[in-house]
Amino acid sequence: MLDYTLRRLVYTLITMFAVASILFVLFRMLPGEPTMQVISPAMDAAVQERMKEAFGLNEPLWKQYFIYLKNLVTLEWGRSFVSAQEVTDILSYRFWNTLLLMAAGMCLTLVLGIGLGIVMAWRRNSALDIGGTVVGLVFQATPPFITGLLLLIVLSYRLGIFPTGGMYPPGQRPDGLFDLLMMPAFWERIVLPTITVGAYYISTPMLIMRDSMLEVLGSDFIELAKAKGLKPRVVMLRHAARNALLGVVTISGIMIGFAVGGQVVVESLFSWPGMGQLMVESAASHDYPVAQGTFLMLAMLVISLNFFTDILYCYLDPRIKITAAGMN
Amino acid sequence: MTKVTTADEFVLQVRGLGVRYQTSQGTVHAVSDVSFEVRKNEVFGIAGESGCGKSTLIRALLRLLPDNADSAAELALYRDQDLYGLSDADFRQNILWQEISLVPQSAMNSLNPVYRVGDQVVEAIRTHRRVSKAEARGRVAELFDVVGLQADLMQSFPHEFSGGMRQRAMIAMSLALDPGLIIMDEPTTGLDVLVQERILRRIREIRSEISSSIILITHDIAVIAEMSDRIAIMYGGQFMEQANAIDLFENPYHPYTLGLKNAFPSIRELGSELISIPGSPPTLVGPVTNCPFQPRCPFHLDRCASENPLPINFGEDHQVRCFRSEDANQLRHLAAEKSTWRSLN
Repeated sequence: MLDYTLRRLVYTLITMFAVASILFVLFRMLPGEPTMQVISPAMDAAVQERMKEAFGLNEPLWKQYFIYLKNLVTLEWGRSFVSAQEVTDILSYRFWNTLLLMAAGMCLTLVLGIGLGIVMAWRRNSALDIGGTVVGLVFQATPPFITGLLLLIVLSYRLGIFPTGGMYPPGQRPDGLFDLLMMPAFWERIVLPTITVGAYYISTPMLIMRDSMLEVLGSDFIELAKAKGLKPRVVMLRHAARNALLGVVTISGIMIGFAVGGQVVVESLFSWPGMGQLMVESAASHDYPVAQGTFLMLAMLVISLNFFTDILYCYLDPRIKITAAGMN
Repeated sequence: MTKVTTADEFVLQVRGLGVRYQTSQGTVHAVSDVSFEVRKNEVFGIAGESGCGKSTLIRALLRLLPDNADSAAELALYRDQDLYGLSDADFRQNILWQEISLVPQSAMNSLNPVYRVGDQVVEAIRTHRRVSKAEARGRVAELFDVVGLQADLMQSFPHEFSGGMRQRAMIAMSLALDPGLIIMDEPTTGLDVLVQERILRRIREIRSEISSSIILITHDIAVIAEMSDRIAIMYGGQFMEQANAIDLFENPYHPYTLGLKNAFPSIRELGSELISIPGSPPTLVGPVTNCPFQPRCPFHLDRCASENPLPINFGEDHQVRCFRSEDANQLRHLAAEKSTWRSLN
């Protein structure tokens, strides 16, 4: 188990390094000199030269690359071209906002999706099974910006049940995470984006869970569990669902990765001050340090989630350990 | 029945049991009009080809049939409890595993891969008995010892076990609650011959130590002959012949039994040629209006195609479903000839 975890960790670090390197190249390939935003061509040539020196831009590219890597590790991610704030400061605030919304959306998706999948398979061909499949597929086929807009039109503008966007009422910025979580206004505002995310992704865990449940329910050990005299609920959860979960865990890792990308749309739609929104803003305003930081942060988030999925999978399926040990 | 028997001599009494499946091809009569008794401490063997309804029969007894099946019986008593009269919850709590346990057909896949083997036996115990985990583990260690597994193997996962070890673990599990009846469904199928022999020897040893009766189901005539006190030969969802083991092999009446005997090597008649029964088992779709074996039977009469024979008793404990059972001597003689069976094609 430890061996497997260490191996996964090494792979994860390698992936992170690769992503960081690709980002370095990408940002240097972007049209327009990144320095244009801060170093005005109208300045005196000597001043331009001195400023380039200050930013380290006169160094050869390979040296810049090593400085870049060193700065990544030491968390010197530079300052925003626009607000001159430290990128790490901006990100640490935005990161939690994104994480909160994602956690809410993914919890809804996974808990409801897996739960429904279990019951749908257990009562195969019932109204719930057929209805659930149809509704799930309709939601999946509807892009989040449509679902979100419909929710906003009906529940916010027409019925006025939920606020239209933002994370807290204007002018009431909370001091820190705890304060935010204690605000009823925050919970009012998180409902619609959570439903938007949930509706779009729910069919994935639901249908995968249903399928793997049906497969597991045909197994010999399910018949034996029934023959042992276990209650149907115990057979369904302890034996069938527990085994069927393996397939969902794999898919969830991938799905959450996609959902991180999807945050851009949802956050823009609901004016949620998270990293998705930040990504759009910084790209639009050519704020390269912030854009680079946002991309990096989101990539790290996805990679870390995949790492945890692998570990969880290994914990859920004892057969994995043997395979990992066999690789030595 | 000529012999007078008291009810408490029987562990299981079944009369007129039938199982039907509703399929897209029509109603399949997988089991029809099956009657038998299992006595205390005896091994009752049920032999038959794949698809003859043996597994359906035991699934009916254990209420494990799928939704598209329904089963009914004139009588199905476990000791003095009516198996068809109990509610699902009652049946689950008081009959399953507690009184009737199962050694399933595929021990390879009958253990849940994500739980430790010992814990799966503990689960069986704690579902029916109010004992602590530690007590249950102690019992599992005892059971593992009985079947010849080291106690520390309780901590293993099923994938760490060989086929033979899993089968032993399944047998240990079936013994966990001292049930009155253990149903062994092909307990040695899929194991290699040496492991098979060891498992059978272990079952025989255990038999002398426990008071449970056993229903042994297999397609292997050699295994059933070796292990059983009484044997039923099943074909097309019916018991064609049932008798005590010696009588069945010495004085078989039914043409199918005669054919089966030919198809397996015998130690006593080494060198005798093996003769197979041409044709394949019936599909069992639609109501039973003829003897199911009639299309493959070299001795069939005209009435065999339009009428299903009822069981006839011979002696104390020998039942046959065949219109020609009076001609048994002649048939036994003819059945030994290879040409008899070939003439069908």
